Amino acid sequence: MARLKSEFVSGSLYEGREVPQLEAEAGIVLDKVSISFGSGAVHAVADFSLTVRPGEFVSIVGPSGCGKTTILNLLAGLLPPKSATGQVLIGAGVPEAGNQNVAYMLARDALAPWRTALSNAELGMEIRGVPPAERRSRAAGLLRQVGLESFESAFPKALSHGMRQRVALARTFGLSSRILLMDEPFGALDAQTKLQLQEVLLGLWQNERRTVVFITHDLSEAIVMSDRVIVMSARPGRILANIPIDLGRPRSVRALQSDPHYHELYAKVWTKLEEGMAK
Amino acid sequence: MTSDTSSMTAKVVALQIIVLCSFLGFWELAAQANWLNPLLIGRPSAIGAFLWDEIFVSKGLWIDFYWSMAGMLASFVLGSVAGVLCGMLFVSKPLIEAVLNPFLTALNAMPRIALAPLFLIWFGLGLGSKIAVGFSLTFFIVLSSTVAGGRGVNPDHLVLAKTLGASQTQVFRKFVLPSAVPVVFNGLRLGLVFALLGVIGTEILASEHGLGQRLTVLAASFRTSGVFAIIILLALIGVTINGAMGLLERHLLRWR
Repeated sequence: MARLKSEFVSGSLYEGREVPQLEAEAGIVLDKVSISFGSGAVHAVADFSLTVRPGEFVSIVGPSGCGKTTILNLLAGLLPPKSATGQVLIGAGVPEAGNQNVAYMLARDALAPWRTALSNAELGMEIRGVPPAERRSRAAGLLRQVGLESFESAFPKALSHGMRQRVALARTFGLSSRILLMDEPFGALDAQTKLQLQEVLLGLWQNERRTVVFITHDLSEAIVMSDRVIVMSARPGRILANIPIDLGRPRSVRALQSDPHYHELYAKVWTKLEEGMAK
Repeated sequence: MTSDTSSMTAKVVALQIIVLCSFLGFWELAAQANWLNPLLIGRPSAIGAFLWDEIFVSKGLWIDFYWSMAGMLASFVLGSVAGVLCGMLFVSKPLIEAVLNPFLTALNAMPRIALAPLFLIWFGLGLGSKIAVGFSLTFFIVLSSTVAGGRGVNPDHLVLAKTLGASQTQVFRKFVLPSAVPVVFNGLRLGLVFALLGVIGTEILASEHGLGQRLTVLAASFRTSGVFAIIILLALIGVTINGAMGLLERHLLRWR
């Protein structure tokens, strides 16, 4: 762990870039991680090594059941400690549920139906002890950024799927955590709404450059959003490819749809994924 | 559309009034013409006269009404507060529930009105005995709905709370409690109806005052119209309670 940490901070992993020491709080290192459940009966993830730089947007794609979400749950500290071997470092510490440095966004919006949109957007900050006036103004600002300023006092039942997920984005970004873990946040949305929300997420992310680990089964989503795409094999999940996405920033999700380089990258990721499924 | 529905509603109400009036008219006629013995079926006109006199002239029914309502409210408040507290305790401490569950199930399975004679010995003919019976009914209904509600928390909310680092108290106050409210409310609504049942039942057995006690006296002296009058009054009380709880529920649970 100590070796990992010093290597991590010293900058050898940063391809020569100067990175401030403090930024280590926003990085993630997974070193030869294996995860199994039921005392070895189910081998979910094998020999998984990955370093995520502070401020980097990394997506993990793979066939369903490949252990993508398991990796995320490991990072979030939601797995029983004994299920994983290898070394894990997130925000310069071991994974722990409730780590203030980490915000987790679920596939389903998990809004509280008895709270208004504004109050839902405040919920994360409320639990983490942000004073009422501050969290209210932050939540209102975020609702404005996700395009829901006129729905502050609406209850979730009155919101569409897309709008609910926007509120969940506001709740997640309201937290001051440097690391965001997102588990297929747009998986249940229709194609049109998905594009809109990808733009919203990119907009939020580009302002603050937090570290994001983004799980998805949608290759185009992974490519348009990320700095790097990790392709995983079927269970037990291994890394098949680690593909840098050298598309410029800031990006427009819509404009990329007609960019030839985007389509090259798509073909590349797809080939890797298919190789993994054929094995 | 709206005018269609409102004219439909008006039509329904008009027909309901016609149905009611013809029913009462036929009843009156059957009693007047002695097709059925009026001693057994009473007479709508006599029921009306009884209510008029007891409510507006001699005002004799009010004291019984107050006693029954006081008994109902007291047993409802005590029973539901105890039920909610006990239910929350069970949700947060499953061990306590596991230990007490068989005893409570046995108590709940017993016809509670059978306890009334015992409570009459213990608490006398005043408010105490009817409150005890009403409490014993309300408590279990509210208890079981609170336990069901407390268990019904969305697992996604628990995962979210965990990743946010919520304390036990925060999880309880911000997720478990509010998500239990709709189910608990159903229990409260039933609890109020059963509180009324317990109180009236005990009064019928023995009591100083109360609508149930009045009912027994009237029936024992074959004043059938008076008996019907009390029954109608009790039905109206029940309907009012349900309506009031419905309004409260719509307000409290407007997020649903």
